[in-house]
Amino acid sequence: MKRSAIWAGIVALGIVVSGVAAGSAYGQDSLPTPSPIEKALAARASHVTEVTLDKNMLAFAAKFMKDDSDKEARNMVQNLKGVYVREYDFDKENSYTAEELEGLRKYFQGTDWSSMVHESTKGKAGGSDVFVKIINGRMEGLFVLDAEEKQLSLVLILGPIDVDKIGELGGNFGIPKSVAKKAQKEVGK
Amino acid sequence: MTQQKQKNSAMWKVALVPVGLAAVMTPAIMLAANGTGGMGGGFDEVVRGIEHRYHVHANKIPFMGLISFVAGRATHGGVRGLHVAEIENVQGPIDGEEFNALVEEKAGKGWQRIIRETSRSGDDQNLILVRPEGDHLGMLVVSLDGHEMNVVQLSMNPDQLTDEMAKHRHHREDDGKDTDSKDSSEKNSEEGQ
Repeated sequence: MKRSAIWAGIVALGIVVSGVAAGSAYGQDSLPTPSPIEKALAARASHVTEVTLDKNMLAFAAKFMKDDSDKEARNMVQNLKGVYVREYDFDKENSYTAEELEGLRKYFQGTDWSSMVHESTKGKAGGSDVFVKIINGRMEGLFVLDAEEKQLSLVLILGPIDVDKIGELGGNFGIPKSVAKKAQKEVGK
Repeated sequence: MTQQKQKNSAMWKVALVPVGLAAVMTPAIMLAANGTGGMGGGFDEVVRGIEHRYHVHANKIPFMGLISFVAGRATHGGVRGLHVAEIENVQGPIDGEEFNALVEEKAGKGWQRIIRETSRSGDDQNLILVRPEGDHLGMLVVSLDGHEMNVVQLSMNPDQLTDEMAKHRHHREDDGKDTDSKDSSEKNSEEGQ
């Protein structure tokens, strides 16, 4: 009886630990490994673009931004901890489900992240979400989920972010301009 | 006595031959085993892996060493170590996951994939891998477009390259100013006439 109780305790602890680990896959400072949902989306998509840049690579990339007008943006890029972009293009509309989007959002629940914007249309799976990670009043992370009819974009930026410079990241590092603009607009409000 | 001396020198000679050979051969063997200067993997391994897996033949661009040297001189070391291979008649469809795994495996340690673009049809696959090489950044690009695949490796120094680009930009701006001032002076003289 006692032994079975111990085993049950160990199993329960295992479940809790693995649940926390899965839940915080995106919540960490390091870049995430693709979730099962992303793999399923990639298998369904007609075209997939993946960009993964870690801290070292971003510091190196910042060297290419030597123009004085880019100085502040360069400083921001230099201090970023990672950029993770996934863009899925589909042949047909509604190629992703509301459950899948909810699954992607769940990674940011119960951590330092908080939902800033949630835009959706009733009866449709699409919409936009912006999550931000605020530590000591500073933005330390940004996640944008943009679900269009035939396109789904995930943009995760880790590290100190200058709110005014988010838009300038668009078109760079694989971050879609439209997503950067949207994030700038929502976060800058 | 002299016989003994001769014997000794002969023995030394015999002993020195393998030592000398070992001294010469060891770095050569190590370089050959490691492929690209001790880092392993890289361009050659990736091209060989693709040839083997997809039963294709890569055409290496002739005089690439010379082109690479010229590029290095022209950019003052901004770009160096150019390698290009062109592979034609790649018969698809190519499985994106498998292709990605093959390139990553053959590229070897140190290379980090930063961009991957893949289409479900398998006709369009692009991979960009990078690795730090001191003050340079090694870049390996593998691109499949239909039945044609290109593999390119180069090493670039961002500081040097941006300086060179800035120089060219300034030259162009100066040239633009010169032509502008010429135009305006010509206009003025025409107006004066």
